[in-house]
Order: sequence, then C-alpha cells, then structure tokens
Amino acid sequence: MRYIPVIGLEIHAELSTDSKVFCNCSSEFGGEQNTRCCPRCSGLPGTLPVLNKKAMEYAVKAGLALGCEINMHNSFDRKNYFYPDLPKAYQITQYLRPICVSGKVDIGGKIIRINRIHLEEDAGKLIHHDSDGLSLIDLNRCGIPLIEIVTEPDISSAEEAKAFVEAVSLNLKYAGVCDCRMEEGSLRVDVNISLMPEGATELGTRAEIKNLNSLKSIARAIEYEIYRQSELLDNGMNIIQETRRFDDNSGTTSSLRSKQEVHDYRYFPEPDIPAVIFTQDDIENIRSNLPKMPQERFEEYTVVFGLPEDDARLLISDKALSDFYNGAVSVYPNYKGIANLILVELLHLLNKSGLSMDSLLIPPQDIAKLVRLTDEGKVSRNAAKDILRIMFEKGGSPDAIARENGLLMETDTGAVITVIKEVLAHNQKAVDEYRSGKEKVFGFLMGQVSKKMGKGSNPKLIREELEKALKN
Amino acid sequence: MELNRLSLGTLRDMLDKKEISSVELTMLYIKRIKETDGKINSYITVCEEEALEQAREAQKLIDAGCAGSLTGIPVNIKDNICTRNIRTTCASKMLEDFIPPYDATVIRRLKAHGAVILGKTNMDEFAMGNSSQTSYFGGVKNPYDLNRVPGGSSGGAAASVAANLAPAALASDTGGSIRQPASFCGVTGLKPTYGAVSRYGLIAFASSLDQIGPIAKSAEDCGIVLDIIAGYDPDDPTTHKEVCCNSCGKIGMQLRDIKIGIPVEFFGEGISDDVKTAVSYAVKEYEKMGCSVQEVSLPSFKYAIAAYYLISSAEASSNLARYDGIRFGYRSKNGETYEDLIKNTRAEGFGDEVKRRILLGTYALSSGYYDEYYKKAVYARGMIREDYNEIFKTCDCIITPTAPTTAYMIGEQEINPVKMYLADICTVTVNIAGLPSISTTCGYDRNGMPVGMSIIGRPFDEATIIGVADAFEKVFGRQEVSL
Repeated sequence: MRYIPVIGLEIHAELSTDSKVFCNCSSEFGGEQNTRCCPRCSGLPGTLPVLNKKAMEYAVKAGLALGCEINMHNSFDRKNYFYPDLPKAYQITQYLRPICVSGKVDIGGKIIRINRIHLEEDAGKLIHHDSDGLSLIDLNRCGIPLIEIVTEPDISSAEEAKAFVEAVSLNLKYAGVCDCRMEEGSLRVDVNISLMPEGATELGTRAEIKNLNSLKSIARAIEYEIYRQSELLDNGMNIIQETRRFDDNSGTTSSLRSKQEVHDYRYFPEPDIPAVIFTQDDIENIRSNLPKMPQERFEEYTVVFGLPEDDARLLISDKALSDFYNGAVSVYPNYKGIANLILVELLHLLNKSGLSMDSLLIPPQDIAKLVRLTDEGKVSRNAAKDILRIMFEKGGSPDAIARENGLLMETDTGAVITVIKEVLAHNQKAVDEYRSGKEKVFGFLMGQVSKKMGKGSNPKLIREELEKALKN
Repeated sequence: MELNRLSLGTLRDMLDKKEISSVELTMLYIKRIKETDGKINSYITVCEEEALEQAREAQKLIDAGCAGSLTGIPVNIKDNICTRNIRTTCASKMLEDFIPPYDATVIRRLKAHGAVILGKTNMDEFAMGNSSQTSYFGGVKNPYDLNRVPGGSSGGAAASVAANLAPAALASDTGGSIRQPASFCGVTGLKPTYGAVSRYGLIAFASSLDQIGPIAKSAEDCGIVLDIIAGYDPDDPTTHKEVCCNSCGKIGMQLRDIKIGIPVEFFGEGISDDVKTAVSYAVKEYEKMGCSVQEVSLPSFKYAIAAYYLISSAEASSNLARYDGIRFGYRSKNGETYEDLIKNTRAEGFGDEVKRRILLGTYALSSGYYDEYYKKAVYARGMIREDYNEIFKTCDCIITPTAPTTAYMIGEQEINPVKMYLADICTVTVNIAGLPSISTTCGYDRNGMPVGMSIIGRPFDEATIIGVADAFEKVFGRQEVSL
C-alpha cells in the first residue's frame, strides 16, 4: 500500500546570548568542565532564577523571524523530573504561555506552520566513562537559554524536513539569535512521524525520534522510519507510540521508551519568576532592530535587481555575504556586475584561502568602486581580478592598487594613435594583407599594439582606433 | 550583666557610650548559650570564632562613629538561611554537612551593617511543622515550660530570644513559622509582606509563601531588624521596589484614627477560651486607647487550610526534588543505579513529615488531579486575597489570635498530622494573601503560658502594624522567663 508520511518537528535552538537564561554565567560553547556554572545554575539550595531579559528579546526575535505572533503576557512553568544532568530536578520552561505562537515558514512554495515557540533552560551534559563505569556531570551547558520550535504536522518527506530545518536555521542566523551549529549541539531536532494510508483521513500512530544533530541524520532517520512503519503496516502490524533513538552507524532507529513509561511532568507555574508583560512598543522596537529576512532579500534580488535565482539563493545563504552585497550595490547599483564579481571571484578567493566573510579586509564600497572602474573602461576584466586578489590579500583601495600596478587602462586616444602608427609602419606587409581582404591579420595587429602598450592596454580603444587607421 | 530586658535600643546606647564592647557583649551571649542552651536545644550551630571576629570588626565601626542600629549587636539565624562557610542544615539529615558557598542576601545585609552572627537556630526539618520537634538534631523546648513545644517551625529562634540567648533572630514564615513560635514563647515575631525581604539564600519550602522576618523582644526591635534586611534585591525578582524603609515610623502615632477589624471566623470553634479571653482583653485595651473596633468577615476562611497545604506541599515537592545525593548533601551508600541511589538517598535523608508533604504535593500536581487539587487551591487563594482586600477598604489592621491554643505538651499533637495542620488555621491566610502580620504577647493562660495575638496589615504597611503592636506592648506587662 502507499502511505503518506505525516511529520512534525521540534527544534531546540540555543540562543546566543552572552550569559545564561537565569544567571550571569557565560553561555559560550565548551570550556573546561564545570567552570561555567554558579550556585544558581548548579541548583544549590536557596538560589533563585533571575530572568535574562536578553533571552526574552532573542526569543521574540526568533518568533518574528519565523512569522509568529508574540504573546504579550509571558509566564514560566516548572517541568518536574529526576535526571542527573538536571540539578534542580525541574526545568524552567513555558508550558501554559509560550512566548510565540502561529508561525509560518515557506520552504519553496509550501508553507510549514509553527504551532509554538517557548523559552526554556538547557540541561547539563553527562559524560559516561565506559572503562570504569563512572558517569560524570558537566554543568557548563546547564541554564543556557533554549527555544523549542514546535511545528504542525505539515511536513511529508525527508527533503521537506531538511528544507524546513535549513530555512529555520537561516532565519535564526539572520535574526542573530542562534548560530545553528548542529555539530556543537546548538540546534537539535526531534522528529514526530506517522504514516497515513493514501486516501485515509485519520492520522496513524506516531513515533518520536529524539535528538538528531545533523541534516543528514534527520533525513536518514525519516527515511528509515517511513520504511520501518510501512513494513509493519503492510504486514498488518500496529505501530507503537514510543520514543526512538537514531543510530548514525547503522542508519536505523530503535526504541527508547514506550508511552506507558511516559513521564508525568507535574507542570505548575514557576513561583520564583514574576510574569513578563510586553507592550506593543516593546515588540515594535525589537522588530525594527531585525534585519531583512532572507526570503525578502531573495524577492528583492530576483524581482527588483533581476538576478538569476541561483545567484540570489547563493547570496542569501550567508547573511554576511548578503549584507556585503547590499553594501556594495547601495553605493553603485550595477546589481549583476557586483553579484558576478562577488559570487565568482570573491567566493573563489574565500574558498581557496579557507577564510570567512568576517575576516574579509575589503569594505563593500571598494567592491563597488572596482566594478565601476571596469564599467568605465578604466581597468580590464582581467586586471579587475588581479586588483581584487591584491585587495583580498593586502587590503587597499582599487584605484590605488590599479595605479601602483600599472593596471589602469590607457584612455588617451592620442597615445594609442601614436603606437598604432608605429606598429602599422613596421608591419606594412600585414597592413597590405588586411586591406586585400585577409581580415584575420587584424588580431595580429591588435596583439602588437597591446604588447607595446603594456599592462594598461585598453582593448576597446585599440580596436576602435586600429579599425579607423586601417580604413584610411 | 543581665541580658534580659535589653532592647536593641538599649544595647545600641551601651555600645555607643562604650559601656560595653561588641566583643564583650558577644562573649556574654556565647557564654550564656553554652550554659543554658542544653536545656532548650535552640541552636544547631554556634559560630563562636566567626562571631568574635565580626564583633572585633564591628567595634572598629563603632569606634569610628559609623555604627548603624545593629552594628556590633549579636543576632542568630534560622538554619534554613544560607551562611557562607557555615553549615546550613534545615535541621535535616539531608543537609547535615551542607556548607553553602554563598551568603543569603539578608546575611550579606546584616554583615555589611556590622551585625554579629551568633549561630544557626534549630527548627522543624525544612521548616515543615509547628512544634520544632521534627528536627534531625533533636526537638526544641519551650523556655516557659521545658515539657512543652516552643512552636514552629522557627522554634529555635523564638525560644532563643525568649531565653535571652540572642536579642533578636532572623527566621522564616511560610504558614506561621515566625508568628506561632513567637506566640508560644512569649516574644514578638514579624512576617513581612511577600516581596519585602529577599528570599535569595533562604532554602525554599514553598516559594510563593516563604518570607524571612525577625523575632525579637518587641515590635520596635522587629522593625529595627526589618529595616536592615528589607528592600528590593536584584537577586530575587519577587522582591518589590516600594518596600517600607522606616518600619518604626508610626511608633507613638495617634491611635484615635486607627480602625481595627476583628474577623469573626478566627474566634469560632477550636480556639481555646484562654486564647479568646487574652485577645479580647487586648482589643479592649485598643478601644481604650481610642481605636475604633469593628467586626469583619473572611468568608473564604474555611478553604484556607486546604489551600495552604495543597499549594505549599505542591511547591515543596518540586523545591525538595533537588536533594538527590548527586551534587551535595546526604548520599545513601546503597543503590547500584541512579534511580536506586536517589530513592535510597531520599528515603534515608528525609524525615517522615517532609516525606508526607512531598507525597501530598506530588499527588496534588499529578496529571488527573491537578485540576481537582492544585488549581482549586489557587482559586481559593484568589478568594482569600479578595476577602482581605474587602476588609482593608474599611480597616487599617486586623487582629486575630496567632494560634488556636497556647504551647502544648511535647508529644501531644505530632502523632496526628491532620490535627497538627489544623492548628495553622490562624496564620496561613496571611501567607496565602502575602500580607504583613506581627504577633505579640497579649496574655498568659492558666498554666502561665504566653498567648499571642496577630496584627495583620495592608501590603507593605509594616509601619502601621508595628506602631499598633508597640502601643499595646507599652501598656502590657510582659513576663520574662527564668531559665
């Protein structure tokens, strides 16, 4: 039988605030074990959480970046469960009043709805030493602000799931609230998946696959689950509602716990944190500080600037790159010329050197200047590449580099005519051949003139003047 | 020197006039603790060395003429308030060896002010109880009658002040834990408005009800201590910015303008005759002073005990979940797996009353029971708040008994938890509504045991209830303990 996969995602994204959500400890990734914790995030008796306002602001930014509505009245709840990496034995989260609701993300034509986004604290990390059976606890991660993004079950394939996670990551990066480094665990995904026989109206029983930490494992886990569940259904067996784990090595999922073993988290309102009430002004302030989102930029690049879709997609794939492009075209609006120089030449230099946009020595205005020099015929396209390389390696303005390296093209017609006269005088035979109809010789004569003119030779000008001279 | 009848004001004078040094005063108290505390067991830890060091530092401030109201004066601290490098046990086996790496905000403020910390006082385990008999370190005895309980949970604090083992104490009150022992031990105890004093460093029992406050010999002394510990604290987001900072400002005020409400529900069944007589006597005294007295009603009174025990136990079940033996505190020697280890740790580390409350709270929050119990309790909380708001439209303060009875015999009530819970009926509504309330002695029963009355005020109006309590204290003949 054919089945339609019904998939919903829960994405945990660590917010990139400087400090943790309920204390002042650094929330940077890594660090020596248990050096980024304090009495508060270690859950020592008597300590109280103090809400980091920045984390609230970041969660609002995330919501706005994902098309959500923002809840004005915010409160926190306790989720109670025992686990060694959870020092208070409860997680402070938002159960009743998530900070954001009803979002929408477009994944290339299909809209995936977001049910809610809530703010909560991350737990610590357990380190198991198999050799001596010891389990150690690192609390550095404990209390890092986390948003959980919960979708509606709108996704129907591994590709869509990947596209959604990519779109969400991109938007969160644009909003500047999460670095979305899946390999460092700053973005983790749980997948809820069930199968529905084609034509059916009722949803099937779902399984949840926890803690997927790469796009590849998300896709593989979904594909495996579709296979596993359809095999079971085809053989007349039932799907058990359960939590499963994905094994990267075997590419399969296995049961963690069934629904019968599900926790009763005994949620109740967190008495230590007073409600946080936003005003419309607060939200508008945050909104006005958000940059233009990638989808909006894509529209602008393709529709207004007339860039090919592939170029536009490449530009928006990295906010720094897109910002750089915008900086350049705002000075000199040759949209395509600047896009070409950046996407072909600059990206090539970046890739070759292994550097990122952050370490770029070139201000975007200089890229604009360089393209303008080319457009005005002051440097040749080949020379432009050389100039860009020097700008990339050593910095400096394109005019100065062109001048210092003799890359400025000859624009003095008189000088060109003088050289042409000289060349024609020395190559009478070729001139005769040309005039008798052997036009191929033109290239030879062009070459001779260019050679004499050196690096600053201006092919366009030479061509024009040479044609004129030969006609006479 | 006789340490009884020494008010904080008198001690201040003596220190400022150099009639005694802070070190001498501290040594006097420590000597008396060593000689006398064996009879009542009010201290868990005495910090002799640290106290003398603090006294020497305080003396420098006094000599430099920079003394504040408590500089150089010894006080003690209930053992559920964290003190840096001094063990803080909550009177529990679970925290027998727990040494906090930080000071509670109230301790920081006392230290900054130059107060001297004598030691940590005994209490009911995790502040759960009203007899101070559930302590892992042995029960506390009432200095008026060593066969009777001192009340609880701050029994050590109240008994130590009554027995002159400290001129003032810091304690905590979740459902009456300052006022009821103050009443049983014939001293004065103040539970401030919720949010007036930082809870940072107070080991949580029920976060939405807990509040730190003073126990001392008089309302004025309570006010002096309150002014030092109260105020907004960035470390506790539930503290308020509009906290009263001149708690003694209404002492000596004209009582003619004061309207006192007497809620009928607090004088019904279960309140002993001796208590009713003593409180009525005090109310008549206020009438003589010119106060107008009116009968008022708190219709939601009947829900108070149930709401209190559901909310406080629910919060406690969560607050006490962190005691798993993993990072600090007692750890069982038995248990191969994580689950077994924490089960055994909690089974061995907590006493019966604490376990009872954790079970009750866990039940009240469980799925399927939440709506029936916790949610209804929160609803009742709203009703109780509303009823008080209504009363305060026409009254400046409310007078009630602090407890249905005077101090009972040790062993008399603990065997029946429900009966013991019902004994909190006179105090819990104040915590539920977050109001300030002060208990002061208003008489003695036929056995010579003190009777306390509570004066309840509007939020952040501690000054009025301190002023009203002071007026009675000035005309009342308080009897000292001979121990």
